Amino acid sequence: MIARKVKNKIMIGLIGLLAIVSAAPLFAIIASIYVNGARIISPRFLVDFPPPPLGGSDGGIGPALVGTLILMALSILIGGGLGLFTGIFLSEYGHHILSHYTRLSLQIMVEFPTVIIGLFAYAVLVLPLRSFNAFAGAFALAIVIIPYVALQVREAYASIPYSLKEAAYSLGVSPFVVNLRILLSVARRGVATALLVGLARAAGETAPLLFTILGTTLSYFEGLDKPIGAVPLLIYNFALSPYERWHEVAWGAAAVLLTIILALFIVTRSLVKEVKL
Amino acid sequence: MRSERKFFMFLLVFPIISFIIVAGIIFSLIYTSFPIFLKEGLRFIVTAVWNPPKEDYGILHAIVGTLITSGLAVGIATPLAISLAVFSIELVPTKLRDVINSLSDLMASLPTVIYGLWGLYVFAPLLHQYVMLPLHEYLGFIPLFSTKPSPTNLFTAGTLLAIMVIPFSSSVIREAYEAVPQGLKEAAYSIGMTQWEVIKVMTGYIKSAIFAGVILALGRAMGETIAVAMVVGNTPTLPKSLFDMGYTVSSLIANQFPNAESYDYMVAALFGGAFLLFLIGLAINILGLRLVRKVVTQR
Repeated sequence: MIARKVKNKIMIGLIGLLAIVSAAPLFAIIASIYVNGARIISPRFLVDFPPPPLGGSDGGIGPALVGTLILMALSILIGGGLGLFTGIFLSEYGHHILSHYTRLSLQIMVEFPTVIIGLFAYAVLVLPLRSFNAFAGAFALAIVIIPYVALQVREAYASIPYSLKEAAYSLGVSPFVVNLRILLSVARRGVATALLVGLARAAGETAPLLFTILGTTLSYFEGLDKPIGAVPLLIYNFALSPYERWHEVAWGAAAVLLTIILALFIVTRSLVKEVKL
Repeated sequence: MRSERKFFMFLLVFPIISFIIVAGIIFSLIYTSFPIFLKEGLRFIVTAVWNPPKEDYGILHAIVGTLITSGLAVGIATPLAISLAVFSIELVPTKLRDVINSLSDLMASLPTVIYGLWGLYVFAPLLHQYVMLPLHEYLGFIPLFSTKPSPTNLFTAGTLLAIMVIPFSSSVIREAYEAVPQGLKEAAYSIGMTQWEVIKVMTGYIKSAIFAGVILALGRAMGETIAVAMVVGNTPTLPKSLFDMGYTVSSLIANQFPNAESYDYMVAALFGGAFLLFLIGLAINILGLRLVRKVVTQR
């Protein structure tokens, strides 16, 4: 009996210990990003050009930051739109045979390693145009976020009470109005959550951008058919460079990126909480 | 009725777009990688050479690297993920549970390049100093630990991947655990089981969900590119121990693509690697689903 109690204590303690071990890296990561990033971050860091590898001033990540904002906007416009309507289809025609295959293809899309999606965008938008371009990057990011948005929108629509749907349809207006005006406004929090999750993914993904946007850091936006910079790609390239100074810029950029992600995460959380009430 | 039909036709466009994208991706993988399979045949998969000047490509080393790092990741992550899920449900007050779940979700949504940056400059040196060097020193006679480690290698990549995939499997396990009928727990306690014994019963009950979490984590770990490319060492040789620098398929693609266009067959070779990665992922998913079904029907 005592042996069992002792064993119980030990195993419960072990579970607690392992749980703490698995959550600890999060705090370590956030702390080290902000501690290391703080050394270089200033308002100018957000608008300046990156420094030369040796000598010169501290510099910044202006072009990459603008690039990331543009890519976020474009990819949420494309991927968010496609995901939204796909989600509505899944909710409205859930029993249709096509819904089954749509869910299957979304499942496959989620499972695709994002680097493969980058290769695809390279094959269809970079090779034919013979130039790395911003649109290819946004296209790749859009594919990454479609399944996330679609599945969450489906849930948001599915959670609308049936009586409310019936009432909306009984108004005698077209299904376009019912789904895209009335039900959309009922499910707006769920839909907003879906889009924010998509936006966070678009902000942080690196692999789909490797072969699509080239990641120029030396000029601001020049057009969708031209290369563009992005913060995650800059972090990747600068962190792997041999220059101490570029490592510092990478830490600063990571702090900026982490702030964007945290902000989106907190807004998303607060939306979810209010839905529950 | 008419507008109903119109609405359906309008919405129909979007699922079709998603079919086209999925089909397009698979087609482009096959189409672009075709030359390398014609040129190298099976040697592309069973040899480990990466010699662009001679246009000689075999990616066995990268496949092995992918299997080692993702296997290691899942091996480390699974007990941790189960503990995290059980801990948040059984061992802390409800308020704290929400906090832990939020933190876990946040871990899942951190950009991988941030894990990579931290992994390269903070985690790898620590792991090198306090885990890998001692392991090599005292257990170096075991082939797994026989290479003198540098900070970035397969072991580092696998461990970093473990940290990254914990929240994914943990959330699957958490949901299943919460869905276990309360009666089971009450029954277990009522016959005098200790808390640990109850937890054993409960986790036994959700075996298939735990397995599903493992499969999900495995898929994530195999596809992960950026963080791995930053800490795996990027060396095209067949690894002999966990402490060897190596490649995974996805980090090979990320690392080699910038020079790929200078060679005749490298783009095809990298797409070929991506195609194999897709096939392995698909196989594991299908196999995983089978096994889950088997476990469920046996109950």
